[in-house]
Amino acid sequence: MIKVNTRDHPWQEGMTVRGVIEEKKFTFRHLVVRVNGNFIPEDQYEHHVINDGDNVMVIHLIAGG
Amino acid sequence: MLPWRYYRNHEAISETQQEALKDKRVLVVGCGGLGGYVVEYLGRLGVGHLVVVDGDVFDDSNLNRQILSSNLNLGKPKVLAAKQRMQAVNPLVEVTAIQGLLDESNALAFMEGCDVVVDALDGIPSRLILQASAAKAGIPMVHGAIAGWCGQVCIIQPGENRLEKIYGNTTTAKGMEETQGNLSFTAALVAGIQAAETVKLLLGMGRPLKGLLYIDLLNGECDEIPLG
Repeated sequence: MIKVNTRDHPWQEGMTVRGVIEEKKFTFRHLVVRVNGNFIPEDQYEHHVINDGDNVMVIHLIAGG
Repeated sequence: MLPWRYYRNHEAISETQQEALKDKRVLVVGCGGLGGYVVEYLGRLGVGHLVVVDGDVFDDSNLNRQILSSNLNLGKPKVLAAKQRMQAVNPLVEVTAIQGLLDESNALAFMEGCDVVVDALDGIPSRLILQASAAKAGIPMVHGAIAGWCGQVCIIQPGENRLEKIYGNTTTAKGMEETQGNLSFTAALVAGIQAAETVKLLLGMGRPLKGLLYIDLLNGECDEIPLG
């Protein structure tokens, strides 16, 4: 099990940041991703492996007012 | 004896707290979708002094969400509308309207005497300037941002630099709002939460937000995400 934005989410062997983004249906561009507090750049989404128990933050980058 | 206009704030706001709000001063930076509502909410509640900064004038594209905009004031300064609105709604509130952009050279002067800074800007670079200036001034900041169906709010105490945690090392100035726009209810909701957090800070009451309150209205989700 992992946490995504404080909610429990099932973990699978080989899961990547990209996989979490797709499973959680973050469909728009401009995301901010942190895993265990560490910022993950967009070019690492495909390769960054999520381990069981990881704490993942995925939010849309929003800045309108 | 408090003015009767505040009768329905009671007892959620005590008489002592209501009296204290009269002497509070809040800087609202940005007077568009978020800022217009923040001024409305804080002014009606009875926050005594509001300093409102925005360099923009209203245009047609603001009418879908900006509470202070109307067909009657297109082309007119947003901060002027804020002042006029408070004169009409609650003349007990003193509004200092500054038509201009906040930058490193003027931010500290705008913040003089303020208890809380409300970030109602759009775009990331100006928010970073505001955060740094509020830290220098030693004033807490209530950050809010919207895009489409999503919104976020957090409190930034001086020196916390939380915007870097929220925006990472992005080099873009804008976010999802560029493609998703900004909706009326998202602006009202996020501004309402910003106003509530501001009042809690002003009065030292309740439990201020600890993390980033992130709201996705399309999927009915709301999380308070720890920022470490």
